[in-house]
Amino acid sequence: MDERVQEDWLDARLRDEAAYIDDAGFTARVVQHLPPARPRRSLRALILFCITLLGSIITYVVSGGGKFIGAEIDRLAALPILWILALAAGCGLVLTSIATVAAFAKSREEQLG
Amino acid sequence: MPLTDADLVARVLVDDDHHAFAELVRNHQSPVRGLLRQLTRGDIAAADDLAQETFLRAYKNIRSFRGEAKFSTWLYRIAYNCFREEARKRKELVGIDETQLEAEPDPQTIDPALRQDLMHALQLLPLHERSAVLLCCQNGLSHNEASRVLDIPLGTVKTNVLRAREKLKKMLAAWETN
Repeated sequence: MDERVQEDWLDARLRDEAAYIDDAGFTARVVQHLPPARPRRSLRALILFCITLLGSIITYVVSGGGKFIGAEIDRLAALPILWILALAAGCGLVLTSIATVAAFAKSREEQLG
Repeated sequence: MPLTDADLVARVLVDDDHHAFAELVRNHQSPVRGLLRQLTRGDIAAADDLAQETFLRAYKNIRSFRGEAKFSTWLYRIAYNCFREEARKRKELVGIDETQLEAEPDPQTIDPALRQDLMHALQLLPLHERSAVLLCCQNGLSHNEASRVLDIPLGTVKTNVLRAREKLKKMLAAWETN
């Protein structure tokens, strides 16, 4: 149900009295006092991508073209099957924990607004 | 096509876009400053300081605006809270005494030029009635919206609006006959 007050001469006079207030530099003064803007999200994503790419290139070059990866896969393949299963489960557990903590942190951040 | 409040708020949230926020300020500065001028009984400098504080708080807390109410209603609530905090600091929260308001207007104390002035009559109302009538009758908020802005029960808003309207009509009629 609409709760608005029934229109009469008093409402009309009240609205007439509410003249438009010219901005006269008010908006500029408010904007001047705003905290500095954060970099745009797209810019942040680009910076993160570039840093990751640079890091990967440096690692590839320093490690002699990534030969160590093949060597480590050979070593892993030589391990008993139970060890490989335990290692996979451990990695999964660590990743799940990190993701859970990150999700809780994000949810708390949203609630605090 | 001009952007809606929701579009501008989204831009502020995603990109921290100062231009979008400036647009929101430009769109809402007049009613917010007008309301604060009435609440501060015509003190333009104090009202503009409070309006500036209102918009700065809105910017800092824009994540808490969930779009459940209109952006203007949310702003009015911040503005009213800013005014109350300032009034508490100055201990000026209490309006004119009821007995003073009910008394016959003294021709010596009321400027004849102001007798027909509705704004002057408004300033004679106590704060709780003035704020309710300003929000509902001047700024077009529903009783429900005013109840959210003033943080008081719906029934109290309705009573305050009714009393304020009766007093205003009485005052204006009395001044007219005098």
